[in-house]
Amino acid sequence: MRNLINFLWKHSSWIVFAVYVVICCILLFGRNPYQRSVYFSSANRISVVVYDLQSEFSSYVGLRTANRDLQLRNGELELEVLNLKEQLNYYRSTIGIDTIPSDSVMHNYDFIVARVVNNSVAQINNYITIDKGRADGVKPEMGVVDQNGVVGIINVVGEHHAVALSVLNPKLRLSCKVKGSDYFGSLVWDAVNPRYAVLEEMPRHVEFAPGDTIITSGYSSVFPEGLMIGVISDYKKQRDDNFYALRVKLSPDFGCLGYVRIISNRMKEEQDQLEKEARYE
Amino acid sequence: MSNWLRYILLFAVVVFLQVTVGNSIHLFGVAIPFLYIYFLVRLPLSLSVNWVMTLAFLLGLTIDTFCNTPGMHALSCVVLAVLRKPVLNLYTPRGEDYIEATPSIRSFGMSLYVRYTLTLSFCFCLTLFLIESLSFLNVGRLSLRVFASTILTFLMILGMDSLTRSGREKRL
Repeated sequence: MRNLINFLWKHSSWIVFAVYVVICCILLFGRNPYQRSVYFSSANRISVVVYDLQSEFSSYVGLRTANRDLQLRNGELELEVLNLKEQLNYYRSTIGIDTIPSDSVMHNYDFIVARVVNNSVAQINNYITIDKGRADGVKPEMGVVDQNGVVGIINVVGEHHAVALSVLNPKLRLSCKVKGSDYFGSLVWDAVNPRYAVLEEMPRHVEFAPGDTIITSGYSSVFPEGLMIGVISDYKKQRDDNFYALRVKLSPDFGCLGYVRIISNRMKEEQDQLEKEARYE
Repeated sequence: MSNWLRYILLFAVVVFLQVTVGNSIHLFGVAIPFLYIYFLVRLPLSLSVNWVMTLAFLLGLTIDTFCNTPGMHALSCVVLAVLRKPVLNLYTPRGEDYIEATPSIRSFGMSLYVRYTLTLSFCFCLTLFLIESLSFLNVGRLSLRVFASTILTFLMILGMDSLTRSGREKRL
């Protein structure tokens, strides 16, 4: 017995080492609730204080570019409003009715504006921390966009903060299509350059050219149809020859995200429920 | 006791610097400075390896919660903690001279300190990026990231060491 204790004491460092390695591996590879718990994510109370402090400072420094982007976007939107008004007036005068059925797609969606307090692009699995949480109506699996396009999907939600999977995270696959066609593929980041991602499984007979716009397909309940993702910069055949893999230049600049909008879909639960039922039938 | 306080303060400072400054630097898209391992590099050699491992685990886990990477930094930190003494023994075959020392440029001398920190940073970056790319292996990019980050981390540690040293000299 004494020998055993002596032995254990002598090699205690190996035992301690083994224990820590096992704990780390459980955290790393296990499918355990800790991975989705708020305490182990950057939405916990202490991290949030630090990140708020940092973003308070850096958002002040970045105000000039943020302002310019907003002005540009504002200008574009104003032009669009004018165009649409003109069209509306034209139709009114030609058809002669006062009520025109409005486009129903966007009606089911709400937006919550949030500020990005932390954001990484250098790792393989990148995450975005934002300053809105459960108290503001944010729930997991909501879509996140900024003024330039799709940014990510909410993953973990704390009381006043939330963590989103960035588009720059291979765990995230976005269903999207080339604007103007109805064939869809899935967009995934290849962990090389934060400005580019790869759109896989695009059937070969779809017609497209570099420079074409890639938008969300609207087939999932997370994003509505037609949100900007990026433009095609290059393409090549995939291994099995029936599909193309397109290289897509992402339109949001992930290096400097400022304010984002979180999209909540009023019909999401209904759609998810239906899809779930269909799967188990 | 004041020594303990000093190390707790250092812990807080390196974590703060890492999450606010270090994590937002990625030179040329490949190099990330992991300056927080300065805390582990600097722990006194007289501290038993069990304690070093425990502190390393806690430090890694703290960084992990900030980066949303549960276990990744913690594991690499524990590996670094274990390698500390073997690495030092590698460069001082007679050993024993430094058994009571706190690793720094002043106590080790420039050449030994450079070899010590460079090797440790390399081991750390190698473990970290290997773990990170387990699901997504790209050898060329992996080695590029390891080497670039090692150099940057090493430079950061040298910088931090000279800063703390000058601070103490002023106080004396």
